[in-house]
Amino acid sequence: MLAVVIFAALYERLQRRVTAHDLAYSDIGFFVDAARPRRWIPRALQGFWVVALFGIVLAASRPHLSVPVPVRDGQVFICIDTSGSMASTDVFPTRGQAAKAGAREFIAQSPPGTKIGIISFAGTAGVVAPLSSDHQSVTAELDQVPLPNGATAIGDALKLAAQLLPSTGHRVVILITDGVNNAGTDPTEVAQWLGAHHVPVYTVGIGTSNGGFIPGTSEEATIDEDALRAYAAASGGAYARAQNATQLRDALARLGRVTSVQRKPVDASLGFAIAGALAMVAAFLTGLGLGRYP
Amino acid sequence: MTIRDALLRARRRPRHLGAGSPTIYRGDGYEFVELRAYVPGDDVRRIDWAATARSGELQTRVVLEDVALTLAAIVDESPSMRVGRRRTLLESAREALVCWFAAATTQDRCIRVTADGITPPSLQRSPHATASVCGSAAAFDAARALRTAAAALPRGAALLAIGDWYDLDPALDRDLADLGARFDCTALIARDPWYDGLPLAGIVRLRGAEGGNIRAYVGSREREAFRTAIRRRETSLLARFETANWRTGILREEDGAGALAAAFGLRRA
Repeated sequence: MLAVVIFAALYERLQRRVTAHDLAYSDIGFFVDAARPRRWIPRALQGFWVVALFGIVLAASRPHLSVPVPVRDGQVFICIDTSGSMASTDVFPTRGQAAKAGAREFIAQSPPGTKIGIISFAGTAGVVAPLSSDHQSVTAELDQVPLPNGATAIGDALKLAAQLLPSTGHRVVILITDGVNNAGTDPTEVAQWLGAHHVPVYTVGIGTSNGGFIPGTSEEATIDEDALRAYAAASGGAYARAQNATQLRDALARLGRVTSVQRKPVDASLGFAIAGALAMVAAFLTGLGLGRYP
Repeated sequence: MTIRDALLRARRRPRHLGAGSPTIYRGDGYEFVELRAYVPGDDVRRIDWAATARSGELQTRVVLEDVALTLAAIVDESPSMRVGRRRTLLESAREALVCWFAAATTQDRCIRVTADGITPPSLQRSPHATASVCGSAAAFDAARALRTAAAALPRGAALLAIGDWYDLDPALDRDLADLGARFDCTALIARDPWYDGLPLAGIVRLRGAEGGNIRAYVGSREREAFRTAIRRRETSLLARFETANWRTGILREEDGAGALAAAFGLRRA
């Protein structure tokens, strides 16, 4: 930056030299009124040079930009809540059915090559489909997700996903639940551990604001949004709310696109160097065309 | 005919009154100039009775009178006159000034008028000393110089004013007219050195002779606008001086003496 400032000052000083391009005139005010010379053109040329130098100086400092790049070898575990509260019909037809439909949408939006696995959890967690890049077979395995019944062990599901995911690569956990954890490991601890290992947990809260009753019981199915936000925040993921099947599909489709890209630091030196060099050539040619250089 | 002759003739026939104006100066004329029709006010002793008899109308003899002239000069010596292509306008102005004072005889008075006063205050014995032009770092104050002339010069004096007249405010037109009525005034307007076109194109830097500078792009559009503007300015200045009853001429950088002669309608010797 200092070099750019010095260059700009030097350029200004050089421009003030008395050269063969100078013309002494009796009354500068009359000339300006009479000819109305375009004074912005030399300024623009000067700006061009400064931009060119700025690009080259920036290139020399080897900048790294964080840019989104498509992920071809991502690994995603979808954890679907199958606890009793997922039988609630406040989301049509049931929270559980809507969760499976949303998972199908997510798989459909994921780019080819992304390995996807399915974990279902209630009182305990189990693998429905191991990580596979065969999206058709994974979608077919969704039918094997058990019917809603039992407690909600979110921590166990996250822990199982953490165990099954490889230690490197672009890894993501999608958690579809109504968020009321009542069994197993503390989900916040597992989410923090995942976050520390660069595995974001994207949580999708399913259920209406009013909630609903679990069929065949007098128990009320609610949603613990604060807890879901906390899991997402602890791991570096994000939280989305779905009050109906359409919102759930949209949220998961969006997640499918989000998880298919990864921000990576890219060395931008070459780009800045090329831009700077092009600006320099353009500035020189423009100056030459405008009669600035002999 | 010389500049002095032209000044004496003009003195007898002030131009603003036309060629038929009365001969108002008395004296022992010895050099016959011309015969012209009598106008009321002419000295009856100047009536040429023989010519009157021949023509059937009263005729007056116009003679060159042996009287002293007062030659005064105002020269813009400011930095704005120190521009030019091959030499400066100030050098050309000096040439015209030398020529002007060279017209004076030993009994004539030669006076330089500046914004600060007149030089010398008494009778000038050596006209050439008054013709020195050394240039000044200060801007030319046309208003003060013209007002000094109006206050200090005797009625009927011949005044030559040379400058580029960039600072000739329209408010000074009244002063010009006043001077034109009281004196035999001649103005030499310095022609812009770039009258025939700006020599540069592209991005150029212009230095103001009296300060300031700009860096700008000068293309064909700007050159044409400038060309039009300087022509319009010169025409306007000529018109203003002539309206105020001044004799006018264009001072070109290459020939100051020629410019003065041309202003008097004379051929350069």
